[in-house]
Amino acid sequence: MAQVLRRRGRIQVRVDSREREALIGILDSLGPRLAAPLASAPRAYDDDDLQAEYDRWVRPDIDRGRETDLGMVRDALSAGEDTLPLTEAQALAWLRAFNHLRVAAGEILGIEGDGWEDTATETTKQTPEYGVLIALGYLQEELVVALGS
Amino acid sequence: MATTSAPTPTKTPAPAKSPDRQERDQREFGWNVVVWNDPITLMSYVVLVLRRLFGYDHPTATRLMLQVHNEGRAVVATQPREQAEVSVAQLHSFGLQATLGRP
Repeated sequence: MAQVLRRRGRIQVRVDSREREALIGILDSLGPRLAAPLASAPRAYDDDDLQAEYDRWVRPDIDRGRETDLGMVRDALSAGEDTLPLTEAQALAWLRAFNHLRVAAGEILGIEGDGWEDTATETTKQTPEYGVLIALGYLQEELVVALGS
Repeated sequence: MATTSAPTPTKTPAPAKSPDRQERDQREFGWNVVVWNDPITLMSYVVLVLRRLFGYDHPTATRLMLQVHNEGRAVVATQPREQAEVSVAQLHSFGLQATLGRP
């Protein structure tokens, strides 16, 4: 199983070829969905005029940043290496990218409340999106620990 | 606790702010950055984001995260509007649900 290690201030992600392929598959399937605003895309303001201003001037930077993060993950996974060294900035980019992908997967599954891990049906657990939530959640936890240590 | 009263130091009263000034201060400086609960984002990730973006220590970030989780929302910072908008944009870039608004 993929591992995130931190030794002497350096972060390494260890992923075998099968895991890399699976992660690239996730990027391929959910990445394009992120290009369009998700129904759950957060608002900044209650006020519609201020929100329109935010969408015009701020949102494009956030979207570009997300695409950069996703591209960074894809490039690293496509390098064909089992051990991927990450800087702190890259580890944060991976975390952000994984969170966006998990939110997209949650939206597809229609998850609206806490406790979904306990209430998911067997059918839901067999879906690719549920696998995304679990697998990327695991990697996020590992990255958080590595960044916090 | 001692009950003997010490001489009260003289203190120059702060100049009273005019209502306009108070209103302007409130408008410009008193914007709350609010993080909202969502069912997908990991608790540990929220703690990390709050620490990285706002410089909170681990106990403070954890307390705020738990407030988000248990109460549905938490004010994580109060800042001038422009800065609050930057904070919210950073939170959005991390995929968190965040808004800014007047208290």
